[in-house]
Amino acid sequence: MAKQIVKRDGCSVLFDSSKILNAIAKANKAVGEEEITATGLLFVTEEVCRLLEARSLSNVEEIQDVVEEVLIRFGFSKTAKAYILYRAEHTKIRDAETYLMDIYKKLTWAPAKEEDIKRENANIDGDTAMGTMLRYGSEGSKFFIDNYVLPKDAAAGHANGDIHIHDKDFYMLTETCCQIDLIRLFKKGFSTGHGYLREPNSIESYAALACIALQANQNEMHGGQSIPNFDFAMAQGVNKTFRKEYVAAFACFLEVKNELDAAEAVARTEVLLQGLPYQPTLGNGEAFGQALLACHGETMRPLLAKTHLHATQKAIQATRRRTYQAMEAFIHNLNTMNSRAGAQVPFSSVNYGTDVSAEGRMVVENLLLATKAGLGNGETSIFPVQIFKVKAGVSFNPEDPNYDLFRLAMETSARRLFPNFSFLDAPFNAQYYREGDYNSEVAYMGCRTRVIGNVYDTERQVTCGRGNLSFTTVNLPRLGLEAKGNTAAFFTLLDERIDLVFRQLLHRFKVQGSKKVYNYPFLMGQGIWLDSEHLKWEDSIEEVLKHGTLTIGFIGLAEALYALLGKHHGQCEQAQALGLQIVQHLRRRADEKARETGLNFSLIATPAEGLSGRFVALDKQRYGTLEGITDKDYYTNSFHVPVSFSIAAFRKIQLEAPYHALTNAGHISYVELDGDASKNLEAFETIVRFMHAQGVGYGSINHPLDRDPVCGYIGVIDDCCPRCGRKEGEGVSEEALLQLKKQYHDVPM
Amino acid sequence: MLLDTQCTDKKVATEVKMVGAGQGFERTRRITGYLVGTLERFNNAKRAEERERVKHGAA
Repeated sequence: MAKQIVKRDGCSVLFDSSKILNAIAKANKAVGEEEITATGLLFVTEEVCRLLEARSLSNVEEIQDVVEEVLIRFGFSKTAKAYILYRAEHTKIRDAETYLMDIYKKLTWAPAKEEDIKRENANIDGDTAMGTMLRYGSEGSKFFIDNYVLPKDAAAGHANGDIHIHDKDFYMLTETCCQIDLIRLFKKGFSTGHGYLREPNSIESYAALACIALQANQNEMHGGQSIPNFDFAMAQGVNKTFRKEYVAAFACFLEVKNELDAAEAVARTEVLLQGLPYQPTLGNGEAFGQALLACHGETMRPLLAKTHLHATQKAIQATRRRTYQAMEAFIHNLNTMNSRAGAQVPFSSVNYGTDVSAEGRMVVENLLLATKAGLGNGETSIFPVQIFKVKAGVSFNPEDPNYDLFRLAMETSARRLFPNFSFLDAPFNAQYYREGDYNSEVAYMGCRTRVIGNVYDTERQVTCGRGNLSFTTVNLPRLGLEAKGNTAAFFTLLDERIDLVFRQLLHRFKVQGSKKVYNYPFLMGQGIWLDSEHLKWEDSIEEVLKHGTLTIGFIGLAEALYALLGKHHGQCEQAQALGLQIVQHLRRRADEKARETGLNFSLIATPAEGLSGRFVALDKQRYGTLEGITDKDYYTNSFHVPVSFSIAAFRKIQLEAPYHALTNAGHISYVELDGDASKNLEAFETIVRFMHAQGVGYGSINHPLDRDPVCGYIGVIDDCCPRCGRKEGEGVSEEALLQLKKQYHDVPM
Repeated sequence: MLLDTQCTDKKVATEVKMVGAGQGFERTRRITGYLVGTLERFNNAKRAEERERVKHGAA
């Protein structure tokens, strides 16, 4: 008998004759007459197995053919008929081509503004050729996954809206995201396909290769890509740039001062700078100057002192200018290269703020300045998502070395919405922190994903080279509705859903683990993922994937509480207590599953985008429009207090902070500020400091950020542009614009 | 034909030249953690959510 059978999705599983027996028993039961005895069932099954072996068959469809044949031969014609019907029913589902073709028609002929299905992801332009091609692929893949791949209970749970399997179209393909350590990647140089990129040697190349790395990895994963240590990584580029600028300026000074020709000056510089204990750097000007003088005789010293001073000043100026341009180019590239499957820019994030070296600080200062200045016409850049790491002793307090950068970060965020702020002092983040080791600093993905704890390898609770494998979300409001106000019933139902999600996550993990290094030539082939550098081209990636996280998420805590108690957690203490109890329960279950499996099961406050409307639409169909639950077009994000609820910023932070500690796979809290935040920096800082004090892990402040593309005004625009006076869609006279151009540098003409 | 074109050109030259007609305002908003440069690409649910957001007093 064949030891393995091949399923429809191409996977092989161990042959199990009891499955055949059960299927026959089920069909027989459905008939209600023509009862086959237990011995009879065994007999039929044995005959099926014998035939399979005799004909050496191993395919699911072939096995089903043989079952039909044997049932008929043994005279169980009614059971055979039930079995055939059961098969046909499933085939029919699989063959529901019309369903898929209807979707394709919409994608092809309807403009994105009319069809929600073309706006599932706000950063993809669904009207372009590649945007549409991407959607064809995605919808076709979902159809395939639903009908041929997913376990029946998971497929049903997803279809009816009990759970949501995120990025289901990528189910058979890849993982969510990765935190890329550029320092490791650049060290030996790398390849993204054709040709080889040597280790970069200037800040411009560092920034350009950072974009290439983000982009290359993006095309091998379905989620975002992040650089967790941007300042530390780019600092090395600044360092190299400074050294070259210093040597060049040194030679230049000698050339003029001593009337040498250029080549002579270079040769002389080389000799003079030889044999010193260390290299000139941005931060060691004085010490290097002294070492230089100490190395040479009395007569040389006056000239050397002057040359050193000149070289240092020039090199600082040039390095600063070049760093700014490199950061500007970095941002421009990440907003303009539509290299994510050809239809959108890569989803990129950069974390920074803790490198206190002169080089790292120069990187962050210039990245922030370039962000504040905006893109070519002053537009706000939307990528990369920027995350400033707030840490007492490093960047948080006025006496800290990077406090000035924290201030600049807030100034920039008040103008441009980025950076967001991550809080390394929150106890659940602080427990991993080791001073001077960026790999121990928690980083966040733009969407909020957090990966640091590691039950698979407790020695490697680190940031770099890891990410989320997949996540699936539970529809909490539906549980609230099904429980009909009974809290105990709610938890029973919640446990059932959690079990289903865990089964499904493990099923997906098995699919992911069946892939080989050659399926991910960059992510695994270039050793970006933790431990993948030890693998060979044909090796399975299952073992190294265990560093990643398998995550359960939730949406609509507020609506679930409303269904149970008639109030949400913004409205009453009791609801807040129950809300915490629910999320604690989810976390406890994830922790237990992690211990049981040795895999990183974890809990996320889901960043729902497409999902925000899907669950509520399904629940509205099922339960009608219910006040406070299904009466909106969306469910409230994760544990958030509903966006339409009036509440003070500080109260909102206080209520949401405890959920950050529970959601170890990611979280974010927002505060909505009124008016022009850049004119109210004190309020901005007070809020960020309050987040820090309350134990928020990751937060940001939203404020209206509008822009008139005609006159370039940036700020709050209600009906009418405060600068040029036009209303939405109106024209403005060229003459008036020319006048404005004289007043404002950012009028785009 | 030629006369017609010349005529039209002259007419435009004497009129006030307007720019930007038909162009909307750009409204950058944050959803899920990412920024989006225009509300037009938001799906219906996220549009509704953005519309209903209320400000939080910082006092």
